[in-house]
Amino acid sequence: MRVLFWAELFKLCKQRRTYYALGAILIMEIIILFSAYYQGRSFIDLLLTNFKETFYFEGNLLNGNLLVYVILNTLWFHLPLLLMIIISGLLTAEYKDGTLQTIFLQPVQKLKFIAAKYLAAILFTLVSVVFLMITAFGLSYAIFGQGDLIVYLDTLNFYEPDDAFRRLVWAFFSGSVTMVFYAVASLTMAICFKDATITWIVAAFFLIVSSLLIRIDYGDSLFGEILYAKLGESWQYFFHFEIPWRQIIFNNGLLIVYSMVIMALGMFIFTKKDIS
Amino acid sequence: MKHFIYLFYTFGAILSCTCVHAQQVDGDLLAIKERLDAIIAYEAEMSLDIQADFIKMPTKYASVTYTKNQPLEFSSDDFILIPKKGLDVTMSQLFEHPFITVNRGFEKQDGKTYKVVNVIPNDDKSDYSIAKIVMDTVITRIVSSEIHTKKEGSFTLQMKYTDKKAILPEQLEIFFEMERLRLPFNFLGKNAKIDRKKMRSQEIQSGSILLNFKDYKIKYHP
Repeated sequence: MRVLFWAELFKLCKQRRTYYALGAILIMEIIILFSAYYQGRSFIDLLLTNFKETFYFEGNLLNGNLLVYVILNTLWFHLPLLLMIIISGLLTAEYKDGTLQTIFLQPVQKLKFIAAKYLAAILFTLVSVVFLMITAFGLSYAIFGQGDLIVYLDTLNFYEPDDAFRRLVWAFFSGSVTMVFYAVASLTMAICFKDATITWIVAAFFLIVSSLLIRIDYGDSLFGEILYAKLGESWQYFFHFEIPWRQIIFNNGLLIVYSMVIMALGMFIFTKKDIS
Repeated sequence: MKHFIYLFYTFGAILSCTCVHAQQVDGDLLAIKERLDAIIAYEAEMSLDIQADFIKMPTKYASVTYTKNQPLEFSSDDFILIPKKGLDVTMSQLFEHPFITVNRGFEKQDGKTYKVVNVIPNDDKSDYSIAKIVMDTVITRIVSSEIHTKKEGSFTLQMKYTDKKAILPEQLEIFFEMERLRLPFNFLGKNAKIDRKKMRSQEIQSGSILLNFKDYKIKYHP
């Protein structure tokens, strides 16, 4: 199992598309950073319009923390899309190149093989989120410096730099659970569809449907509380003035359960399916 | 003789007008004004706490510097919201131009009885139309005020003192009103819930900013 896992990591490191994905994340981030700078200015102007009549402002709100927050908000569609393409490619490429048959000519258990793929996919996802986090903080702080974070979530919330940094890091950690869910789902899709193009289309469709489901207001219904798309938004809770830890732990816990169920389903299908 | 009588009446009229004017400014308020006018500069450290349902902000810290006839200066490492009105604890703007006062009796606050006067400016240059001053005549200082400006609405100030002799407050609460936030939906966080009924019913939102001053360094007229 360990050998299979290392082999999967080796394949990931050797693939050019892995680096393309990381490069794409970095380029997207730089583009978002510059557009966020202009969006951020209008965002602050708009938020503080009414305050201008009553208050003077001292200090800078258009800073690295706000830009990391904007990056966080915009990357949660692009990042899973990239991850789903790369991770589904872990298996679809093997189907396409016929390397699966070669592997199973050796004494390799199908269950262990696919489990190693899932583990490699999860590790790659976590590395990508950490890469995103480091580059987002690095670029934003280097260019725009530190400062208070302003967020509007029912109320206008201000966070001091240290508090803002802590909340943003927690948001990345919470978001990584969502990313792992999409990564696991994409590998299960690859098991089901085998063909790379079909899997990518289905993965993109899945993401679009998920983003549409997020926008629907389900009120306080149970469905809204356990829907995977809504659970994936838990990272936003870190920007409520009082962090609802119980809700975050419940949401992420449930999302981990969903990921495990999807993973188990994928393993079951893979072991039962013909590899040809 | 006739000329003498005219002269007498004219002089009397001028004298009586002067006396009426003098009587129109409350003596207790003049005593407070005298104490405040003696301050030519001060420095203090202050903390700011905004108390409003629609804004969540941790306590902020700043230094404030006042020099007579100069705008207040602030310095802080934090992002701070400074109220445009009400920070003038020396009331220099209120007493800047000639004014008259109208006695409004007494008012009870926190179990104590204070004198209340309305301050009405005599000069068009003044940027307020009327002000209500509640003052402690025993210790000669202002307890609260409600100032109605000509262009920027009205605001209420509540002052608290820990030192019996102090002329400048250790705590100042400024009450304000502002229009509710109107944001396009794309600027809202994804988890922000929109209660349209509530939004419509809250056209004007009110709050207060609580300022605590410490380490006053006051310079008086020599």
